[in-house]
Amino acid sequence: MLLFLLRRTVGFLATLLAISVIVFAVMNLLPGDPALTVLGIDSTEDARAALRAQMGLDRPAAERFLAWIGGALVGDFGTSWSFGVPVAGLIAERLPLTLSLAASGMVVTLVVALALGMAAAANHRRPGDWAMMLLSQLGIAVPAFWLAILLVLLFAVTLRWLPPGGFPGWGEPAAAASSLILPTISLALVQSAVLARVTRSAALEAMRLDFVRTARATGLSPARILWRHVLPNALAPIVTIVGMQFAGVVTGAIVIENVFYLPGLGRLIFQSIANRDLITVQALVLMFAAIVVAANFLVDVAYVLIDPRLKARAT
Amino acid sequence: MLQATSLSVRLPAGEALRGVDLSLAPGERVGVVGESGSGKSMLGLALMGMTPASARLSGRLTLDGRDMTRARERDWRALRARRIAMIFQEPMAALNPLRRVGTTVMEPLRVRLGLTRAEAGARALALFNEVGLPDPADRLRQYPHELSGGQRQRALIALALACDPAILVADEPTTALDAEVAARIVDLLVRLSRDRGMALVFISHDLAAVARATERLVVLYGGDVVERGEVGAVLADPRHPYTRGLIAARPRPAPRAPGAPRPRLAAIPGSVPPLADLPAGCRFAGRCPVERPECAARRPAPRPTPHGLAACHLLEEGAP
Amino acid sequence: MSRPPANLLLGGALVALAALAALVSLVWTPFPHAALDVANKFAPPSAEHWLGTDQLGRDLVSQLMVGAANSLAVALAAVALGGGLGTALGLAASAMGGWVEDLAMRICDLGFAFPALLFAIMLAAAFGPSLANAALAIAFINVPVFARVARGAANQVWVREFVLAGRAAGRSRLALTLDHIVPNVAAAVIVQATIEFAVAILAEAALSYLGLGAQPPSPSWGRMLAEAQTLLWIEPMLAIWPGLAIVVTVLGFGLMGDGLRDLADPRLVRER
Repeated sequence: MLLFLLRRTVGFLATLLAISVIVFAVMNLLPGDPALTVLGIDSTEDARAALRAQMGLDRPAAERFLAWIGGALVGDFGTSWSFGVPVAGLIAERLPLTLSLAASGMVVTLVVALALGMAAAANHRRPGDWAMMLLSQLGIAVPAFWLAILLVLLFAVTLRWLPPGGFPGWGEPAAAASSLILPTISLALVQSAVLARVTRSAALEAMRLDFVRTARATGLSPARILWRHVLPNALAPIVTIVGMQFAGVVTGAIVIENVFYLPGLGRLIFQSIANRDLITVQALVLMFAAIVVAANFLVDVAYVLIDPRLKARAT
Repeated sequence: MLQATSLSVRLPAGEALRGVDLSLAPGERVGVVGESGSGKSMLGLALMGMTPASARLSGRLTLDGRDMTRARERDWRALRARRIAMIFQEPMAALNPLRRVGTTVMEPLRVRLGLTRAEAGARALALFNEVGLPDPADRLRQYPHELSGGQRQRALIALALACDPAILVADEPTTALDAEVAARIVDLLVRLSRDRGMALVFISHDLAAVARATERLVVLYGGDVVERGEVGAVLADPRHPYTRGLIAARPRPAPRAPGAPRPRLAAIPGSVPPLADLPAGCRFAGRCPVERPECAARRPAPRPTPHGLAACHLLEEGAP
Repeated sequence: MSRPPANLLLGGALVALAALAALVSLVWTPFPHAALDVANKFAPPSAEHWLGTDQLGRDLVSQLMVGAANSLAVALAAVALGGGLGTALGLAASAMGGWVEDLAMRICDLGFAFPALLFAIMLAAAFGPSLANAALAIAFINVPVFARVARGAANQVWVREFVLAGRAAGRSRLALTLDHIVPNVAAAVIVQATIEFAVAILAEAALSYLGLGAQPPSPSWGRMLAEAQTLLWIEPMLAIWPGLAIVVTVLGFGLMGDGLRDLADPRLVRER
């Protein structure tokens, strides 16, 4: 078990390193002059050279990469070109909002998807099942940001129950929470359509296994059999998709923050693109990719925790 | 205690059981034999109220005097494990692989009988002792994949016994096990039946196991009871051609010359046809070595034999 | 062969609708899509403007049609490029085997760490946003997807008798790949391509909505929604039609993909 964790951790770190190389390469080595993008075509060559020197762009790429990644390891992502403050500080300020949105989105996704998926499996070949399949087929086709706009139209414009966007800050917990309701639903519904289908088919698969018949022969209630026996045995494919969906939820949060004008990392990334603030974009992209990879790493570990047979093999 | 009268189970594909009579007194041990496809597993499921949702039951099935033929799932659920329990063929698959076997055995004790964790644990330990699992306390904490085949079957038997059922239905409990382990499981079932006064329905295609385990024998073919009677007598003097075929097909290791090929298992040519293709008359028509022209069309009525009943036109009065 | 599955027919019909709108827009639209007519802004649906006009008096149907063309063009380019590269990579990995295969698949795993949005953000930051960069980003995330599918399907074919016979006869791996492997993985790749079309259209819409795709005045369903969002209080219908167009097209490709998969692998039809 320890060896397995060690191996996976090494693989995880190697992946992170490879990702940082890719991010750095795309942002720095592809043709294009950041100084030109920052200062515009009207700038003089002297001014651009001065800026390049100030940004450290006149040094060799390998040296710049090592400096960047070395700094990143100790939490120093450099100074934002547009805000003039440390990038790490910008991220720390906005991270809680993005994480809250992603976490609440993931929780709602899980609750909705497991409930719908298991209910559909329990009603296999009956109207409830067909309805769920139809609904989820439609849900998969709906872009999250359009759903968000429709929700704003209904709950903010027409009914005026919830704010159409913006964020009052954590100082007002009730208002902050209510401004996260619509973003959370937009983020979760589409994801749960996918997960509900996976849950349904994984549960149907597990329901065919013999021990389900044993549990029935023991007189256990259908609900107990479904949640205590079928679900745990259906978890492996569900966890796989949840890992992938966490990536979807995190990047989805980038889009949804922009729909609802929420000051999180997603807004920051777009402000930085608009301001040609490459060093901030670079740090944020690395962070998002790292979150995605970390989610997949956790999924790998989760498999082993779910299934005692794998635990035996993993040691 | 349990009484099936002319019990039939109709599936969309055809009739899986046709007018089966079966009665069971407390402590009685009955064997049900037949090839795969003969309907013996369906009979076991019918006794548990666990036929597929698409199945239609007719005839009459009573348990403790209550008519269960059209009972709803929740009525059946109240009886399962407490009055009638069942164990299955593949002990590895029949246990939830993600749970310690102790958790599995304790579940009905806690959920059905409302015992506390400690009480259930003590009962599970006693049950593991009773079914002869070595080091029962350690076994309780193990996962199914950590047990041997015989140990898994013993754990399943312990699970079935958890709520003190009056009847145990054992569907091919020894098929997945090697011969020596199988014999010990059979002996265990007989001992438990005697010690607890528990009736046993032993479903198998293994005549030797059935002879060892039971007192009475029911031979099924294509959903029909073709012969029944005291187990030793029927095996010694079978009256139905199918029973004879089954006995002839039995693998007998003894009279085999060294180096001689193993005797073919199926002395009856072919296999049970799919439900939809069963003949309307005697189900055995088409494979029967002594078949007569009317057999496929007309269903033979059960006739008394010296040791029970058999349903074959050859036994009818006036038959040559 | 029996009747094609219902989802294939329905999906095909929806896709045909979008494709027709896109193709017709190349030669004709009711109005020039960018023609301003400020006097006639927010016009309700009429015989002239079937779905009305937007805040600048532009005809909505014309914009939706050109949007269809843009959307499908990006999806086609992205799936063709990414799918082609990915399939070639997967086939090569499968043919070479050994450490080459391992390395190729490891690189693909890396690709999965970059959702399309992140890659598009990087490209937009480095080169500025454009429809071409959006297509490139979507193509990029398609490479590992197709590489996996192609390799998985190819690996199953390499062990079949007729391929083994070919190897025994001394035929080169390239020749065997072209003769035997490609026809046998085609079904899996086509099914995946249909599904990825749906994904690409969703991705293009999201990127354009965020301003990382189509740039004004080129209309795109995603950008139309971004503009409509600011006008929700004035004319909510502007936010309805482009969204419906996206849903219809994505649903069409999704259903078609499912239908094709059912055709390709009848065993899966029963339970899915």
